[in-house]
Amino acid sequence: MPAGIPHGATEVRIRIGGPAGFGIKAAGQSLARVFTRAGYETFDLTEYPSLIKGGHNTYHLRVSDHEIHSHVLATDILVALDKQTVPLHLDELTEGAAIIYDPKDFDMSEVEGVPEGLCIIPVPLTDIIYDVGGQKIMRNVVALGAVLGHIGFPIELLHASLEEQFSHKAPEIAEVNKKCASAGAEHAAGQGCPFPLDMHPIEGRDPRILIDGNEALSLGALAAGIGFYAAYPMTPASSVLHFMAKHGEDLGVIVKHTEDELAAMNMVVGAAFGGARAMCCTSGGGFALMNEAFGLAGVSESAVVVGLMTRPGPATGMPTWTEQSDLRYALHAAQGEFPRVVLAPGDRDDAFTMGWQAFNIADVLQTPVIVLGDAYLSDHRASVAPFDSSAVTVDRGKLITEGEVTDYLRYRLTEDGVSERVLPGVKGAEQLVNSYEHDEFGYGAQGEDPDVRVAQNEKRMRKLDLAREICPTPAYYGPTEADLSIILFGSTKMPVREAMSWLEPDGVSVNMMQITTVWPFPAEEVMTFLGAARKTAVIEGNLTGQLRGLIRQECLLDVDHTLARHDGRPFSPEQLYAWIKEVLA
Amino acid sequence: MPEVKEYTNQNKPTWCPGCGNFGMWEALKRALSELDMDFDEYSIVWGIGCHGNGADFIRTAGFHGLHGRALPVASALKWAQPNLNVIVEAGDGDGYGLGLSHFVHSVRRNIDMTYLAHDNQIYGLTTGQASPTSDHLMRSVSTPKGVLEEPVNPIGLALAEGATFIARGFAGDIPHLTELYKAAIQHKGFAVVDVYQPCVTWNKHNTFPWFRERVYKLEETDWDTSDRTAAFDLSMKSFRELTCTPDECRVPIGIYYREDDTETYEDGVTAYGEPLYKVAEEPRDVSALIAEFR
Ligand SMILES: Cc1ncc(C[n+]2csc(CCOP(=O)(O)OP(=O)(O)O)c2C)c(N)n1
Ligand code: SF4
Repeated sequence: MPAGIPHGATEVRIRIGGPAGFGIKAAGQSLARVFTRAGYETFDLTEYPSLIKGGHNTYHLRVSDHEIHSHVLATDILVALDKQTVPLHLDELTEGAAIIYDPKDFDMSEVEGVPEGLCIIPVPLTDIIYDVGGQKIMRNVVALGAVLGHIGFPIELLHASLEEQFSHKAPEIAEVNKKCASAGAEHAAGQGCPFPLDMHPIEGRDPRILIDGNEALSLGALAAGIGFYAAYPMTPASSVLHFMAKHGEDLGVIVKHTEDELAAMNMVVGAAFGGARAMCCTSGGGFALMNEAFGLAGVSESAVVVGLMTRPGPATGMPTWTEQSDLRYALHAAQGEFPRVVLAPGDRDDAFTMGWQAFNIADVLQTPVIVLGDAYLSDHRASVAPFDSSAVTVDRGKLITEGEVTDYLRYRLTEDGVSERVLPGVKGAEQLVNSYEHDEFGYGAQGEDPDVRVAQNEKRMRKLDLAREICPTPAYYGPTEADLSIILFGSTKMPVREAMSWLEPDGVSVNMMQITTVWPFPAEEVMTFLGAARKTAVIEGNLTGQLRGLIRQECLLDVDHTLARHDGRPFSPEQLYAWIKEVLA
Repeated sequence: MPEVKEYTNQNKPTWCPGCGNFGMWEALKRALSELDMDFDEYSIVWGIGCHGNGADFIRTAGFHGLHGRALPVASALKWAQPNLNVIVEAGDGDGYGLGLSHFVHSVRRNIDMTYLAHDNQIYGLTTGQASPTSDHLMRSVSTPKGVLEEPVNPIGLALAEGATFIARGFAGDIPHLTELYKAAIQHKGFAVVDVYQPCVTWNKHNTFPWFRERVYKLEETDWDTSDRTAAFDLSMKSFRELTCTPDECRVPIGIYYREDDTETYEDGVTAYGEPLYKVAEEPRDVSALIAEFR
């Protein structure tokens, strides 16, 4: 059994590659929908440079009848919409893999290094669309048809998906697209190059949703009752803005594309002052511009949520790729000291759950909460069980929205560090919410008194103790006793879980601790986990070992091994599988 | 109606004796009192500077934000709490330097709030550096050979971006300033009052006497407040040279331009109207939206 296929699983991996600007992602997602609705689990990975047209774009789709946790590198069917796609992906092709291409685009015999034994399927993508009266952009649809024809999968499911996709257009459009798909399927099926597996729709499976991390986070925020979302576009966070703009207004959310990230963060603080649940999402560069106002949220005790979706930095970095290099940045951004919470979702379920929990934590603590993700989680869709929105709760903490108050002090010193928060507009709610150090009322003039300063500074920081009680605790996977114990945070959870499932049948036992709340750091849990382990490792997507350093700092303990990656790509289960075997050899 | 003195609190102003901020402070209290504004009906948001220190000296449920960033805080406060009258107090360094883009964009948006600029043409709090509105060639600790840029023209800038209410006041004429404030607060849309607020400590050029010799009131002329082009020309003309005499440079104060029926940003926002805390009283049902992902 090659790595990448769980025992007894039926699985196919499809890659579509070609120039940017030809709707490869949209086409691939139709294919994902087809398989997901047919009862399969899917996981996709779109890789594209920061260009609109040209360059090399690929969409990779993993389809399995078993539970899967991540993408893989292996490809069984390669759809090459241009010549350079073939050499770029030759080394990931499995034995007997198929290549679907249009002989009008290039001559396959001119491509160097194509091994024997592949199933080469020429499909006249362009001729077919003109035959059925279609347009150039429908080449993708012919190719999708060809993929299904090669697999021997019923084309009707793709027809249904196309009908849905074009339901708002003239009926002829869907019809032509369906004809393209059918013609592609017929052509590929007749190539005398049989697909080795028997794949057909599976009846009776629980329904799945097909969703990416940003969509999951947005849904969580909406469920929490978000009232204000502000952002300045930045990959990979922009799709949250698009989602909120599309769905938010009708649900009572004011959504603002601001002039810059400084405005976004300051607006979020202002909206929170006015009583809204408020969030902004960005990537590292945008967060740099937000830093001062992020600290403002800390000292002014504002309940705000910031989504920080990491891409490789510094500066503009690699806009469309992934990394986990903003951990320390999230922990330390902004001058001075103030309490913050940093949550790190590892997959779509986490993103939804932390998406709504973040607002409760922010409200209860009256301090900023970061949801730290990355492009790998933000951008790629996978099939998951529909989120359980009935589990969502709203806890606004010590917030008073209406009525009348007397002797009000916004920053009253309390045991847990949290003071009553009364909205402007309430009778008696006079207060000064302040970026300067301040006294209990909020006046800056008295804030420079050393005793007042110390009292307020310590009051704020006390909230971290409360944070430890209410924030998500680490998640554990695998057996209690294992040959290797892995600590990680964020999206690396997905390929590690996948690799763990491949290692188990080989008799290699691995367990994993996912740090879900990175700050305040769960030092005791980490010490317990490491104390019980035989061999230990940290796996993280950055150069300098930021999580490992944090463990040393907070636990005075170290791990035996580190696997780091910072080339813009997520860890693959193939890489992890091989590395873990090597470490344990 | 709260009396003027009720708007003050126990804190004594820390501004230098004779500072123009006193006049602006007094005019705002009078305007609030004359408009019969109770303490739960308005909120003031300040930037950082000497003007911002005023946050300690007036009663409100207010917000003392960052240097240059009062506007975005105030904008979202307005959207979250539509019933509040939101007033922003900014400095010239604060609002026309760091905060310039927020100023331009807020004008474009025509958000329904009031913007009071403490324009002392100098950085007061940080001890006398040149500001974006300092006169051309003005010498300061940061510009010993004189400012080489032309000053920012806030009135022209606002007019170019479609301002619906733009006025200039003088901190030395409190009754006049009070009337401008009242008109600005009552205006539906983004109302800007740029106030010459002499800094008696650092700006030795644009002093109270300097202004007194030059200001005149637009409403005492046949000024047409509905002529945007004329207002723009006037804003350009009122730039001064350091050496100009009172006859050469006249400083018009009053309402340059106003229009009253223009749509505000909020008019176009479907979700605007109810205070936003109301949508967070219980979880929002997103099950239908989740089902769309099938
Ligand atoms: C980001 C940032 N940069 C610099 C400062 C320092 N600073 C405080 S007030 C100020 C300028 C004040 O001038 P102005 O805005 O004209 O206000 P004034 O004091 O004259 O009322 C500066 C530079 C700061 N607080 N924050
Ligand atoms: S420094 Fe200037 S602006 Fe500041 S309080 Fe003194 S006189 Fe007023």
